[in-house]
Amino acid sequence: MSTFLFLIGEAFVNLRRNALVATGAVLAVFVSLALAFGALVFNELVRVNTLQWQQGDHLIIFLKDEGGPVAHSELLAQINDYPEVKNAWYMDKAGAYQEFLEIYSDQPALAATVTAADLPASIRVELDDISTYQEVQFRLVGHPLLRRLSVFSEGIERLLSLTGVLNSIGFGLVVLMGASAVVLIANTIRMAIYARREEIAIMKLVGAGNWFIRVPFIIEGATVGLLGGGLAAAAVFASHNLLERIPTDILIRFQVDQGFLLSRAILILAFGGLAGFIGSSLGLRRFLRV
Amino acid sequence: MIRLHNVAKVYDGGVVAVQEVSMDVRKGEFVFLVGPSGSGKSTLIRMCLREEKVTRGKIWVAGKDITKLPTWRVPYLRRTVGTIFQDFKLLPTKTVAENVAFALKVTGCPRSIVRRQVNTVLELVGLSAKTDRYPRQLSGGEQQRVSIARAFVNRPPILLADEPTGNLDPATSVGIMRLLDRINRTGTTVMMATHDFAIVDAMRRRVVQLDRGRVVRDQGESGYESSEET
Repeated sequence: MSTFLFLIGEAFVNLRRNALVATGAVLAVFVSLALAFGALVFNELVRVNTLQWQQGDHLIIFLKDEGGPVAHSELLAQINDYPEVKNAWYMDKAGAYQEFLEIYSDQPALAATVTAADLPASIRVELDDISTYQEVQFRLVGHPLLRRLSVFSEGIERLLSLTGVLNSIGFGLVVLMGASAVVLIANTIRMAIYARREEIAIMKLVGAGNWFIRVPFIIEGATVGLLGGGLAAAAVFASHNLLERIPTDILIRFQVDQGFLLSRAILILAFGGLAGFIGSSLGLRRFLRV
Repeated sequence: MIRLHNVAKVYDGGVVAVQEVSMDVRKGEFVFLVGPSGSGKSTLIRMCLREEKVTRGKIWVAGKDITKLPTWRVPYLRRTVGTIFQDFKLLPTKTVAENVAFALKVTGCPRSIVRRQVNTVLELVGLSAKTDRYPRQLSGGEQQRVSIARAFVNRPPILLADEPTGNLDPATSVGIMRLLDRINRTGTTVMMATHDFAIVDAMRRRVVQLDRGRVVRDQGESGYESSEET
């Protein structure tokens, strides 16, 4: 136990002595892992948003209050008869308010300023084929009950076609950035070994075993990886918190589940530590032979 | 305690450092290796530590054939052989006590024993008042005393010294030799490579003279030059 504590102590003394190089490595790992983590979160954002759209709400027809529910029902029946429409349903003011409260559940100040009367009723439309959204749009142009028509199809189409590409790019980024983190740490450890080559020679002379010499470097590499991973996780959490505050349209959300964020943050941290371990082991392999 | 049998060392490029050296060093003996620069003294010491591998022949240290020793066993060999060098080889970022303690810590020795043994050995070398100093804050003689303390702290049966007085003035060298003599009297075998004829002449111990990698003289209780020559 005392030997292990001694080795940890040695690792941290070494980190302090090479503070500049270690800081550089931490920052480089941070950038690599933040990009990788960011790619994961972006992918999830795309997935969540396209999933929502694919579940149905391709068009939202916000209605004027004139005519009341009776006129609204007539329009709903009319829309349901359109050949492009798979399904259409009516959301009254109370429903809109409930939805609003759900979406802005974490912003009670905003929710307190809005009442059900402030929100328009709407008709939500699911299309058979997303690409036919413009035909529906044309049919409704100039309708007296139409307050505003929100069309997500164009974005959806683009995003849906992009999702596959984004997934591949995201995966590629994760692999590439992960590999660069490993290489960076390996390089840092090699520099540390080179800087301490005389000390290492002395350690060997007094009978220090390979592992006795290696363990502090491995702890050093893992610490660099963990710090870089920790900073990356913190940066992505902070960016996500900022994004959440951006006012968005009712169906576009810049937030992902906290559980998702937490699990990926743990993954990134673990990867940082692992990258440090692998990187330092690689760095040590050639340079530390008795 | 140390036995060399027909040992030869040829470096890459065909440079012959040691050839056909055979010698026995008994337990508790004090042996000087003398000879001009390039005669193979340091190479012999390095081979006894397995810092260099022999090209031919065999070396036994403390009863073990170290030419067959697997790499992972080399640190264990080095824990049974204390080493002292001309350039002291102290860790500059560690204090006197930490430098000495390091030789025990690498063996996984408990902290309480480390502390006790370090204090004892630093008292033996006369540095108990300077335990918290760093090597740069010490004189050359004091640094060599730390080096001796580190070499002796785990009571090795063998001490190898490569020009331990090479960087020191004559008066300080005498102090270092007295220390090595005291350690030798405790039963520790000492093999020391040196150029310092004054020390060799004063100590009158066994002298093994090397020239161009060969043993040209092996004489007990001798001086730097052969008794026949003087």
